[in-house]
Amino acid sequence: MAQRSLPPTDREDEDELRDESLSLWRIAFSPIIWAAHFLLCYAGAAIWCARVGPTQGTAFLRLSVLALTLIALGLIGWVGWRALQQWRPEASTADRLHHPENRHHFLGHAAVLLSLISVVGVIYVALPALFIGTCQ
Amino acid sequence: MLRKAISPRFLRSPACLLLVLPLAACDGRQSVLNAAGQDSRQLLYLFIVMLAGAVVLWLGLNGLFLYVTRLRPQALKIHNVNWFLFGAGVLFPSVVIGALLAWGLSIMPAQRAAGDGLRIAVHAEEWWWRVEYWPKGATTPIVSANEIRFPAGSRSELHLSADTYIHSLWIPALGGKMDMIPGRTTVLTLHPDLEGFYRGQCAELCGASHALMAFQAVVMAPDDFARWLKDQAASAPPPTSPAATRGEALFRDEGCGACHTVRGTEFVGAVGPDLTHFASRGTLGAGNWQPTAENLMAWIAHADDLKPDVAMPAYDWLDPDQLADLAAYLKGLT
Ligand code: HEC
Ligand SMILES: [Cu+2]
Repeated sequence: MAQRSLPPTDREDEDELRDESLSLWRIAFSPIIWAAHFLLCYAGAAIWCARVGPTQGTAFLRLSVLALTLIALGLIGWVGWRALQQWRPEASTADRLHHPENRHHFLGHAAVLLSLISVVGVIYVALPALFIGTCQ
Repeated sequence: MLRKAISPRFLRSPACLLLVLPLAACDGRQSVLNAAGQDSRQLLYLFIVMLAGAVVLWLGLNGLFLYVTRLRPQALKIHNVNWFLFGAGVLFPSVVIGALLAWGLSIMPAQRAAGDGLRIAVHAEEWWWRVEYWPKGATTPIVSANEIRFPAGSRSELHLSADTYIHSLWIPALGGKMDMIPGRTTVLTLHPDLEGFYRGQCAELCGASHALMAFQAVVMAPDDFARWLKDQAASAPPPTSPAATRGEALFRDEGCGACHTVRGTEFVGAVGPDLTHFASRGTLGAGNWQPTAENLMAWIAHADDLKPDVAMPAYDWLDPDQLADLAAYLKGLT
Protein backbone atom coordinates (compact mmCIF):
# COMPACT_ATOMS: atom_id res chain seq x y z
CA MET A 1 0.00 0.00 0.00
CA ALA A 2 1.27 3.48 -0.84
CA GLN A 3 2.45 5.56 2.11
CA ARG A 4 0.14 8.41 2.89
CA SER A 5 0.41 10.88 5.66
CA LEU A 6 -2.46 10.29 7.97
CA PRO A 7 -3.75 12.21 10.94
CA PRO A 8 -2.25 10.79 14.13
CA THR A 9 -5.35 8.87 15.26
CA ASP A 10 -5.66 7.06 11.93
CA ARG A 11 -2.01 6.15 12.10
CA GLU A 12 -2.60 4.62 15.50
CA ASP A 13 -5.43 2.63 14.04
CA GLU A 14 -3.20 1.39 11.30
CA ASP A 15 -0.56 0.27 13.76
CA GLU A 16 -3.18 -1.53 15.75
CA LEU A 17 -4.55 -3.17 12.66
CA ARG A 18 -1.12 -4.56 11.90
CA ASP A 19 -0.80 -5.90 15.41
CA GLU A 20 -4.24 -7.40 15.28
CA SER A 21 -3.91 -9.02 11.88
CA LEU A 22 -3.20 -12.38 13.48
CA SER A 23 -6.38 -12.03 15.56
CA LEU A 24 -8.34 -11.23 12.43
CA TRP A 25 -6.97 -14.36 10.83
CA ARG A 26 -7.75 -16.35 13.93
CA ILE A 27 -11.42 -15.46 13.54
CA ALA A 28 -11.44 -17.11 10.13
CA PHE A 29 -9.40 -20.23 10.98
CA SER A 30 -12.17 -22.34 12.47
CA PRO A 31 -14.74 -21.74 9.71
CA ILE A 32 -11.99 -22.42 7.14
CA ILE A 33 -11.22 -25.76 8.78
CA TRP A 34 -14.95 -26.55 8.81
CA ALA A 35 -15.21 -25.65 5.11
CA ALA A 36 -12.15 -27.76 4.22
CA HIS A 37 -13.51 -30.71 6.19
CA PHE A 38 -16.88 -30.36 4.44
CA LEU A 39 -15.29 -30.24 0.98
CA LEU A 40 -12.94 -33.16 1.61
CA CYS A 41 -15.71 -35.34 3.04
CA TYR A 42 -18.25 -34.62 0.32
CA ALA A 43 -15.84 -34.64 -2.63
CA GLY A 44 -14.13 -37.74 -1.21
CA ALA A 45 -17.44 -39.56 -0.80
CA ALA A 46 -18.59 -38.58 -4.30
CA ILE A 47 -15.36 -39.79 -5.91
CA TRP A 48 -15.18 -42.95 -3.81
CA CYS A 49 -18.77 -43.89 -4.61
CA ALA A 50 -18.36 -43.12 -8.32
CA ARG A 51 -15.13 -45.10 -8.66
CA VAL A 52 -14.83 -47.94 -6.20
CA GLY A 53 -17.77 -47.77 -3.78
CA PRO A 54 -19.99 -50.34 -5.46
CA THR A 55 -17.27 -53.01 -5.35
CA GLN A 56 -15.16 -52.10 -2.31
CA GLY A 57 -17.90 -51.01 0.07
CA THR A 58 -17.65 -47.98 2.27
CA ALA A 59 -15.46 -49.05 5.20
CA PHE A 60 -12.39 -47.12 4.03
CA LEU A 61 -14.49 -44.08 3.19
CA ARG A 62 -16.12 -44.03 6.59
CA LEU A 63 -12.78 -44.45 8.38
CA SER A 64 -11.35 -41.59 6.31
CA VAL A 65 -14.25 -39.35 7.31
CA LEU A 66 -13.63 -40.32 10.92
CA ALA A 67 -9.92 -39.46 10.63
CA LEU A 68 -10.65 -36.14 8.89
CA THR A 69 -13.20 -35.33 11.55
CA LEU A 70 -10.80 -36.02 14.41
CA ILE A 71 -8.13 -33.87 12.73
CA ALA A 72 -10.61 -31.04 12.10
CA LEU A 73 -11.95 -31.15 15.66
CA GLY A 74 -8.39 -31.17 17.04
CA LEU A 75 -7.41 -28.13 14.98
CA ILE A 76 -10.57 -26.21 15.81
CA GLY A 77 -10.13 -27.11 19.47
CA TRP A 78 -6.61 -25.69 19.41
CA VAL A 79 -7.70 -22.48 17.64
CA GLY A 80 -10.62 -22.15 20.03
CA TRP A 81 -8.37 -22.61 23.05
CA ARG A 82 -6.01 -19.89 21.89
CA ALA A 83 -8.96 -17.62 21.22
CA LEU A 84 -10.34 -18.28 24.67
CA GLN A 85 -7.08 -17.08 26.19
CA GLN A 86 -7.26 -13.96 24.08
CA TRP A 87 -10.85 -13.30 25.07
CA ARG A 88 -10.45 -13.51 28.87
CA PRO A 89 -14.17 -13.22 29.58
CA GLU A 90 -13.57 -12.04 33.15
CA ALA A 91 -11.60 -9.00 31.94
CA SER A 92 -13.61 -7.78 29.00
CA THR A 93 -16.90 -6.02 28.46
CA ALA A 94 -18.43 -5.39 25.09
CA ASP A 95 -19.38 -1.78 25.78
CA ARG A 96 -15.90 -0.30 25.68
CA LEU A 97 -14.74 -1.19 22.22
CA HIS A 98 -12.97 2.14 21.73
CA HIS A 99 -10.15 0.73 23.83
CA PRO A 100 -7.70 -1.26 21.68
CA GLU A 101 -7.30 -3.79 24.47
CA ASN A 102 -11.01 -4.49 24.58
CA ARG A 103 -11.08 -4.80 20.82
CA HIS A 104 -8.37 -7.43 21.18
CA HIS A 105 -10.51 -9.33 23.68
CA PHE A 106 -13.56 -8.93 21.50
CA LEU A 107 -11.82 -10.55 18.53
CA GLY A 108 -10.96 -13.46 20.81
CA HIS A 109 -14.59 -13.67 21.87
CA ALA A 110 -15.76 -13.79 18.25
CA ALA A 111 -13.19 -16.46 17.42
CA VAL A 112 -14.38 -18.61 20.34
CA LEU A 113 -17.98 -18.43 19.15
CA LEU A 114 -17.00 -19.22 15.57
CA SER A 115 -14.97 -22.18 16.81
CA LEU A 116 -17.98 -23.46 18.71
CA ILE A 117 -20.25 -23.31 15.70
CA SER A 118 -17.51 -24.90 13.57
CA VAL A 119 -17.31 -27.83 15.99
CA VAL A 120 -21.07 -28.33 15.66
CA GLY A 121 -20.84 -27.98 11.86
CA VAL A 122 -18.04 -30.53 11.56
CA ILE A 123 -19.90 -33.05 13.70
CA TYR A 124 -23.11 -32.62 11.66
CA VAL A 125 -21.17 -33.04 8.41
CA ALA A 126 -19.61 -36.25 9.67
CA LEU A 127 -22.81 -37.79 11.09
CA PRO A 128 -24.07 -39.35 7.82
CA ALA A 129 -20.89 -41.42 7.58
CA LEU A 130 -21.82 -42.97 10.91
CA PHE A 131 -25.10 -44.35 9.56
CA ILE A 132 -24.91 -44.74 5.80
CA GLY A 133 -23.75 -48.24 4.98
CA THR A 134 -23.82 -48.14 1.19
CA CYS A 135 -23.23 -45.72 -1.66
CA GLN A 136 -26.92 -45.67 -2.60
CA MET B 1 -77.42 -21.50 11.64
CA LEU B 2 -73.92 -21.90 10.24
CA ARG B 3 -74.64 -19.03 7.86
CA LYS B 4 -75.39 -16.77 10.78
CA ALA B 5 -72.41 -17.87 12.82
CA ILE B 6 -69.85 -17.21 10.08
CA SER B 7 -69.78 -13.72 8.62
CA PRO B 8 -69.43 -13.30 4.85
CA ARG B 9 -66.39 -11.15 5.45
CA PHE B 10 -64.66 -14.02 7.18
CA LEU B 11 -65.61 -16.41 4.39
CA ARG B 12 -63.87 -14.16 1.90
CA SER B 13 -60.76 -13.63 4.05
CA PRO B 14 -57.41 -15.36 3.58
CA ALA B 15 -57.72 -16.77 7.10
CA CYS B 16 -60.71 -18.81 5.99
CA LEU B 17 -58.75 -20.15 3.04
CA LEU B 18 -56.00 -21.25 5.43
CA LEU B 19 -58.59 -23.05 7.54
CA VAL B 20 -60.10 -25.03 4.69
CA LEU B 21 -56.81 -25.84 2.92
CA PRO B 22 -56.04 -28.88 5.14
CA LEU B 23 -59.38 -30.39 4.07
CA ALA B 24 -57.67 -31.21 0.79
CA ALA B 25 -55.70 -33.85 2.67
CA CYS B 26 -58.77 -35.59 4.07
CA ASP B 27 -59.18 -37.98 1.14
CA GLY B 28 -56.15 -39.92 2.42
CA ARG B 29 -55.17 -41.42 -0.92
CA GLN B 30 -52.27 -39.01 -1.12
CA SER B 31 -51.58 -38.23 2.51
CA VAL B 32 -48.56 -38.84 4.72
CA LEU B 33 -51.02 -39.01 7.61
CA ASN B 34 -52.55 -42.14 6.08
CA ALA B 35 -49.42 -44.30 6.36
CA ALA B 36 -49.84 -47.65 4.64
CA GLY B 37 -46.31 -49.02 4.74
CA GLN B 38 -43.28 -49.45 6.98
CA ASP B 39 -41.40 -46.53 5.47
CA SER B 40 -44.21 -43.99 5.61
CA ARG B 41 -45.06 -45.08 9.15
CA GLN B 42 -41.49 -44.33 10.22
CA LEU B 43 -41.66 -40.88 8.63
CA LEU B 44 -45.04 -40.21 10.23
CA TYR B 45 -43.60 -41.14 13.62
CA LEU B 46 -40.67 -38.78 13.05
CA PHE B 47 -43.10 -36.04 12.06
CA ILE B 48 -45.31 -36.51 15.12
CA VAL B 49 -42.36 -36.50 17.50
CA MET B 50 -41.04 -33.30 15.89
CA LEU B 51 -44.47 -31.71 15.97
CA ALA B 52 -44.94 -32.54 19.65
CA GLY B 53 -41.42 -31.30 20.39
CA ALA B 54 -42.10 -28.06 18.53
CA VAL B 55 -45.29 -27.50 20.52
CA VAL B 56 -43.46 -28.05 23.82
CA LEU B 57 -40.66 -25.69 22.77
CA TRP B 58 -43.11 -23.04 21.64
CA LEU B 59 -45.03 -23.21 24.90
CA GLY B 60 -41.81 -23.16 26.93
CA LEU B 61 -40.37 -20.20 25.07
CA ASN B 62 -43.54 -18.16 25.32
CA GLY B 63 -43.96 -19.19 28.94
CA LEU B 64 -40.50 -17.83 29.72
CA PHE B 65 -41.28 -14.70 27.78
CA LEU B 66 -44.43 -14.20 29.79
CA TYR B 67 -42.51 -14.87 32.99
CA VAL B 68 -39.80 -12.27 32.41
CA THR B 69 -42.06 -9.61 30.88
CA ARG B 70 -45.25 -9.95 32.96
CA LEU B 71 -44.91 -12.20 35.97
CA ARG B 72 -41.53 -11.13 37.29
CA PRO B 73 -40.34 -8.14 35.28
CA GLN B 74 -37.10 -7.29 37.03
CA ALA B 75 -33.44 -6.90 36.18
CA LEU B 76 -31.58 -10.22 35.98
CA LYS B 77 -27.96 -10.85 36.84
CA ILE B 78 -25.89 -10.61 33.68
CA HIS B 79 -23.92 -13.67 34.71
CA ASN B 80 -27.08 -15.81 34.94
CA VAL B 81 -28.44 -14.44 31.71
CA ASN B 82 -25.25 -15.27 29.87
CA TRP B 83 -25.26 -18.84 31.09
CA PHE B 84 -28.94 -19.18 30.29
CA LEU B 85 -28.40 -17.86 26.77
CA PHE B 86 -25.53 -20.26 26.26
CA GLY B 87 -27.43 -23.23 27.64
CA ALA B 88 -30.82 -22.62 26.05
CA GLY B 89 -29.62 -20.78 22.95
CA VAL B 90 -26.52 -22.72 21.93
CA LEU B 91 -26.14 -26.01 23.76
CA PHE B 92 -29.77 -27.13 23.82
CA PRO B 93 -30.59 -26.49 20.12
CA SER B 94 -27.29 -28.05 19.01
CA VAL B 95 -28.01 -31.20 20.98
CA VAL B 96 -31.68 -31.41 19.94
CA ILE B 97 -30.95 -30.81 16.26
CA GLY B 98 -28.00 -33.19 16.43
CA ALA B 99 -30.23 -35.88 17.94
CA LEU B 100 -32.94 -35.35 15.32
CA LEU B 101 -30.34 -35.43 12.55
CA ALA B 102 -28.89 -38.66 13.93
CA TRP B 103 -32.35 -40.20 14.20
CA GLY B 104 -33.30 -39.13 10.68
CA LEU B 105 -30.04 -40.50 9.29
CA SER B 106 -30.40 -43.74 11.21
CA ILE B 107 -33.71 -44.58 9.49
CA MET B 108 -32.39 -43.85 6.00
CA PRO B 109 -30.58 -47.17 5.43
CA ALA B 110 -33.87 -49.06 5.96
CA GLN B 111 -35.45 -47.17 3.08
CA ARG B 112 -32.60 -48.26 0.86
CA ALA B 113 -32.56 -51.84 2.10
CA ALA B 114 -32.42 -54.53 -0.58
CA GLY B 115 -35.82 -55.67 -1.87
CA ASP B 116 -37.37 -59.11 -1.45
CA GLY B 117 -37.34 -59.92 -5.16
CA LEU B 118 -39.58 -57.62 -7.19
CA ARG B 119 -37.83 -54.80 -9.02
CA ILE B 120 -39.91 -52.06 -10.63
CA ALA B 121 -38.18 -49.76 -13.10
CA VAL B 122 -39.89 -46.38 -13.44
CA HIS B 123 -38.80 -43.94 -16.14
CA ALA B 124 -40.20 -40.41 -15.97
CA GLU B 125 -41.31 -38.87 -19.27
CA GLU B 126 -43.02 -35.56 -20.08
CA TRP B 127 -45.53 -35.90 -18.18
CA TRP B 128 -46.11 -39.54 -17.52
CA TRP B 129 -44.44 -42.70 -16.21
CA ARG B 130 -43.06 -45.75 -17.98
CA VAL B 131 -43.29 -48.73 -15.65
CA GLU B 132 -41.53 -52.09 -15.99
CA TYR B 133 -41.96 -55.03 -13.63
CA TRP B 134 -38.98 -57.32 -13.20
CA PRO B 135 -39.99 -60.23 -10.97
CA LYS B 136 -37.19 -62.36 -9.52
CA GLY B 137 -35.29 -64.08 -12.34
CA ALA B 138 -37.10 -62.27 -15.16
CA THR B 139 -35.13 -61.68 -18.37
CA THR B 140 -37.70 -59.41 -20.01
CA PRO B 141 -39.87 -56.91 -18.20
CA ILE B 142 -43.65 -56.72 -18.05
CA VAL B 143 -44.42 -53.25 -19.36
CA SER B 144 -47.12 -50.90 -18.14
CA ALA B 145 -47.54 -47.17 -17.53
CA ASN B 146 -49.02 -44.57 -15.19
CA GLU B 147 -49.80 -47.05 -12.48
CA ILE B 148 -47.54 -48.84 -9.99
CA ARG B 149 -48.75 -51.93 -8.20
CA PHE B 150 -47.07 -53.54 -5.20
CA PRO B 151 -47.52 -56.83 -3.40
CA ALA B 152 -48.35 -56.14 0.26
CA GLY B 153 -46.02 -57.37 2.97
CA SER B 154 -42.72 -57.40 1.11
CA ARG B 155 -40.08 -54.89 0.12
CA SER B 156 -40.01 -53.87 -3.56
CA GLU B 157 -37.15 -52.00 -5.23
CA LEU B 158 -37.95 -49.01 -7.40
CA HIS B 159 -35.19 -48.21 -9.90
CA LEU B 160 -35.79 -44.67 -11.05
CA SER B 161 -34.59 -42.78 -14.12
CA ALA B 162 -35.79 -39.87 -16.24
CA ASP B 163 -35.89 -38.73 -19.83
CA THR B 164 -35.09 -35.01 -20.19
CA TYR B 165 -35.94 -33.24 -16.95
CA ILE B 166 -35.48 -34.01 -13.29
CA HIS B 167 -38.61 -35.44 -11.72
CA SER B 168 -39.29 -36.94 -8.32
CA LEU B 169 -41.36 -39.94 -7.38
CA TRP B 170 -43.51 -39.60 -4.29
CA ILE B 171 -46.26 -41.84 -2.92
CA PRO B 172 -46.97 -40.09 0.40
CA ALA B 173 -48.95 -42.99 1.83
CA LEU B 174 -46.09 -45.41 1.21
CA GLY B 175 -42.83 -43.53 1.77
CA GLY B 176 -40.53 -40.60 1.10
CA LYS B 177 -39.54 -38.92 -2.15
CA MET B 178 -36.73 -39.87 -4.50
CA ASP B 179 -35.39 -37.76 -7.35
CA MET B 180 -35.41 -39.13 -10.89
CA ILE B 181 -32.40 -37.79 -12.75
CA PRO B 182 -31.64 -38.12 -16.49
CA GLY B 183 -28.65 -40.37 -17.10
CA ARG B 184 -28.68 -41.91 -13.63
CA THR B 185 -30.48 -44.60 -11.72
CA THR B 186 -31.64 -43.82 -8.22
CA VAL B 187 -33.07 -46.49 -5.97
CA LEU B 188 -35.92 -46.30 -3.50
CA THR B 189 -37.30 -49.33 -1.74
CA LEU B 190 -40.80 -49.49 -0.28
CA HIS B 191 -42.48 -51.95 2.04
CA PRO B 192 -46.25 -51.36 1.78
CA ASP B 193 -48.48 -53.44 4.00
CA LEU B 194 -52.05 -52.11 3.80
CA GLU B 195 -53.92 -53.08 0.65
CA GLY B 196 -55.62 -50.22 -1.13
CA PHE B 197 -55.51 -47.50 -3.75
CA TYR B 198 -53.14 -44.58 -3.27
CA ARG B 199 -51.95 -41.67 -5.35
CA GLY B 200 -48.43 -40.78 -6.37
CA GLN B 201 -47.32 -37.43 -7.68
CA CYS B 202 -44.26 -35.94 -9.35
CA ALA B 203 -42.66 -33.91 -6.58
CA GLU B 204 -40.07 -31.92 -8.52
CA LEU B 205 -41.21 -29.00 -10.65
CA CYS B 206 -40.48 -30.32 -14.13
CA GLY B 207 -42.48 -28.23 -16.60
CA ALA B 208 -45.87 -27.09 -17.83
CA SER B 209 -47.76 -30.22 -16.76
CA HIS B 210 -45.83 -30.99 -13.60
CA ALA B 211 -48.97 -30.73 -11.46
CA LEU B 212 -50.74 -33.15 -13.83
CA MET B 213 -47.99 -35.75 -13.60
CA ALA B 214 -49.47 -38.24 -11.19
CA PHE B 215 -50.25 -41.94 -11.07
CA GLN B 216 -52.24 -44.49 -9.18
CA ALA B 217 -50.44 -46.76 -6.73
CA VAL B 218 -52.13 -50.00 -5.78
CA VAL B 219 -51.15 -52.35 -2.97
CA MET B 220 -52.52 -55.88 -3.43
CA ALA B 221 -52.48 -59.17 -1.54
CA PRO B 222 -49.46 -61.14 -2.84
CA ASP B 223 -51.65 -63.79 -4.56
CA ASP B 224 -53.80 -61.15 -6.26
CA PHE B 225 -50.66 -59.35 -7.32
CA ALA B 226 -49.16 -62.50 -8.88
CA ARG B 227 -52.39 -63.15 -10.77
CA TRP B 228 -52.62 -59.54 -11.91
CA LEU B 229 -49.00 -59.55 -13.10
CA LYS B 230 -49.63 -62.70 -15.14
CA ASP B 231 -52.59 -60.98 -16.81
CA GLN B 232 -50.47 -57.91 -17.54
CA ALA B 233 -47.83 -60.07 -19.24
CA ALA B 234 -50.42 -61.35 -21.72
CA SER B 235 -51.17 -59.75 -25.09
CA ALA B 236 -54.10 -57.37 -25.51
CA PRO B 237 -57.52 -58.99 -26.01
CA PRO B 238 -58.85 -58.57 -29.60
CA PRO B 239 -61.81 -56.20 -30.11
CA THR B 240 -65.18 -57.82 -29.38
CA SER B 241 -67.74 -55.29 -30.65
CA PRO B 242 -68.23 -53.67 -34.06
CA ALA B 243 -67.47 -50.24 -32.58
CA ALA B 244 -64.22 -51.52 -31.07
CA THR B 245 -63.24 -53.14 -34.36
CA ARG B 246 -63.82 -49.84 -36.17
CA GLY B 247 -61.82 -48.17 -33.39
CA GLU B 248 -58.89 -50.51 -33.98
CA ALA B 249 -58.89 -49.60 -37.68
CA LEU B 250 -58.91 -45.90 -36.78
CA PHE B 251 -56.08 -46.50 -34.30
CA ARG B 252 -54.08 -47.86 -37.26
CA ASP B 253 -55.14 -45.24 -39.82
CA GLU B 254 -54.65 -42.24 -37.56
CA GLY B 255 -51.13 -43.36 -36.67
CA CYS B 256 -51.79 -43.90 -32.97
CA GLY B 257 -49.73 -47.09 -33.22
CA ALA B 258 -46.64 -45.10 -34.16
CA CYS B 259 -46.52 -43.75 -30.62
CA HIS B 260 -48.35 -46.41 -28.59
CA THR B 261 -47.71 -50.11 -28.13
CA VAL B 262 -50.56 -52.58 -27.93
CA ARG B 263 -48.83 -55.92 -27.47
CA GLY B 264 -50.09 -58.72 -29.70
CA THR B 265 -50.86 -56.26 -32.51
CA GLU B 266 -48.86 -54.43 -35.14
CA PHE B 267 -48.78 -51.31 -32.89
CA VAL B 268 -45.32 -51.05 -31.42
CA GLY B 269 -44.74 -47.30 -30.97
CA ALA B 270 -42.70 -46.31 -27.95
CA VAL B 271 -43.22 -42.53 -27.73
CA GLY B 272 -46.29 -42.67 -25.48
CA PRO B 273 -47.59 -44.97 -22.75
CA ASP B 274 -48.06 -48.68 -23.40
CA LEU B 275 -51.81 -49.18 -23.91
CA THR B 276 -51.90 -53.01 -23.96
CA HIS B 277 -54.02 -53.19 -20.79
CA PHE B 278 -55.04 -49.54 -20.63
CA ALA B 279 -58.59 -50.33 -19.47
CA SER B 280 -57.28 -52.28 -16.49
CA ARG B 281 -55.74 -49.09 -15.13
CA GLY B 282 -57.88 -46.76 -13.10
CA THR B 283 -56.91 -43.44 -14.66
CA LEU B 284 -56.44 -41.48 -17.86
CA GLY B 285 -53.65 -38.98 -18.63
CA ALA B 286 -51.25 -40.10 -15.87
CA GLY B 287 -53.43 -40.28 -12.80
CA ASN B 288 -55.71 -37.35 -13.61
CA TRP B 289 -59.09 -38.38 -15.04
CA GLN B 290 -61.48 -41.31 -14.93
CA PRO B 291 -61.06 -43.41 -18.09
CA THR B 292 -64.70 -43.00 -19.12
CA ALA B 293 -65.73 -43.02 -22.80
CA GLU B 294 -66.55 -39.33 -22.53
CA ASN B 295 -63.17 -38.40 -21.07
CA LEU B 296 -61.37 -40.58 -23.60
CA MET B 297 -63.09 -38.77 -26.46
CA ALA B 298 -62.13 -35.41 -24.97
CA TRP B 299 -58.55 -36.59 -24.48
CA ILE B 300 -58.10 -37.86 -28.03
CA ALA B 301 -59.68 -34.77 -29.59
CA HIS B 302 -57.84 -32.26 -27.39
CA ALA B 303 -55.11 -33.77 -25.25
CA ASP B 304 -53.33 -30.41 -25.27
CA ASP B 305 -56.36 -28.68 -23.73
CA LEU B 306 -56.31 -31.07 -20.81
CA LYS B 307 -52.55 -31.18 -20.38
CA PRO B 308 -50.32 -28.27 -21.43
CA ASP B 309 -47.25 -29.15 -23.54
CA VAL B 310 -48.44 -32.72 -23.99
CA ALA B 311 -46.50 -34.75 -26.60
CA MET B 312 -49.71 -36.28 -28.03
CA PRO B 313 -51.28 -34.43 -30.96
CA ALA B 314 -54.89 -33.17 -30.80
CA TYR B 315 -57.11 -35.19 -33.14
CA ASP B 316 -59.65 -32.39 -33.55
CA TRP B 317 -60.65 -33.44 -37.08
CA LEU B 318 -62.20 -36.71 -35.91
CA ASP B 319 -66.01 -36.61 -35.67
CA PRO B 320 -67.81 -37.76 -32.50
CA ASP B 321 -68.62 -41.18 -33.94
CA GLN B 322 -65.00 -41.85 -34.74
CA LEU B 323 -63.93 -40.66 -31.29
CA ALA B 324 -66.56 -42.98 -29.74
CA ASP B 325 -65.20 -45.92 -31.76
CA LEU B 326 -61.64 -45.20 -30.59
CA ALA B 327 -62.91 -44.95 -27.02
CA ALA B 328 -64.69 -48.30 -27.42
CA TYR B 329 -61.47 -49.89 -28.64
CA LEU B 330 -59.47 -48.47 -25.72
CA LYS B 331 -62.13 -49.52 -23.19
CA GLY B 332 -61.80 -53.08 -24.52
CA LEU B 333 -58.05 -53.21 -23.72
CA THR B 334 -58.60 -54.88 -20.37
C1 HEC C 1 -46.87 -38.30 -31.27
C2 HEC C 1 -47.12 -39.45 -30.47
C3 HEC C 1 -48.56 -39.83 -30.13
C4 HEC C 1 -49.58 -40.12 -31.00
C5 HEC C 1 -49.54 -40.10 -32.52
C6 HEC C 1 -50.69 -40.51 -30.18
N1 HEC C 1 -50.36 -40.44 -28.86
FE1 HEC C 1 -51.55 -40.96 -27.30
N2 HEC C 1 -50.12 -40.33 -26.03
C7 HEC C 1 -48.88 -39.85 -26.38
C8 HEC C 1 -48.20 -39.42 -25.20
C9 HEC C 1 -46.80 -38.83 -25.13
C10 HEC C 1 -49.07 -39.65 -24.11
C11 HEC C 1 -48.82 -39.34 -22.64
C12 HEC C 1 -49.29 -37.94 -22.37
C13 HEC C 1 -49.25 -37.56 -20.93
O1 HEC C 1 -49.97 -38.14 -20.12
O2 HEC C 1 -48.49 -36.62 -20.60
C14 HEC C 1 -50.26 -40.25 -24.69
C15 HEC C 1 -51.35 -40.67 -23.91
C16 HEC C 1 -52.42 -41.36 -24.42
C17 HEC C 1 -53.44 -41.99 -23.63
C18 HEC C 1 -53.50 -42.00 -22.10
C19 HEC C 1 -52.66 -43.12 -21.56
C20 HEC C 1 -52.67 -43.23 -20.06
O3 HEC C 1 -52.12 -44.19 -19.53
O4 HEC C 1 -53.19 -42.34 -19.38
C21 HEC C 1 -54.32 -42.53 -24.48
C22 HEC C 1 -55.56 -43.31 -24.12
C23 HEC C 1 -53.85 -42.26 -25.83
N3 HEC C 1 -52.68 -41.55 -25.74
C24 HEC C 1 -54.51 -42.63 -26.97
C25 HEC C 1 -54.11 -42.26 -28.24
C26 HEC C 1 -54.89 -42.47 -29.44
C27 HEC C 1 -56.25 -43.14 -29.47
C28 HEC C 1 -54.19 -41.96 -30.47
C29 HEC C 1 -54.57 -41.88 -31.93
C30 HEC C 1 -55.83 -41.25 -32.21
C31 HEC C 1 -52.94 -41.46 -29.92
N4 HEC C 1 -52.94 -41.65 -28.58
C32 HEC C 1 -51.92 -40.90 -30.66
C33 HEC C 1 -48.36 -39.79 -27.65
C34 HEC C 1 -49.08 -40.01 -28.81
CU1 LIG D 1 -42.33 -34.47 -13.34
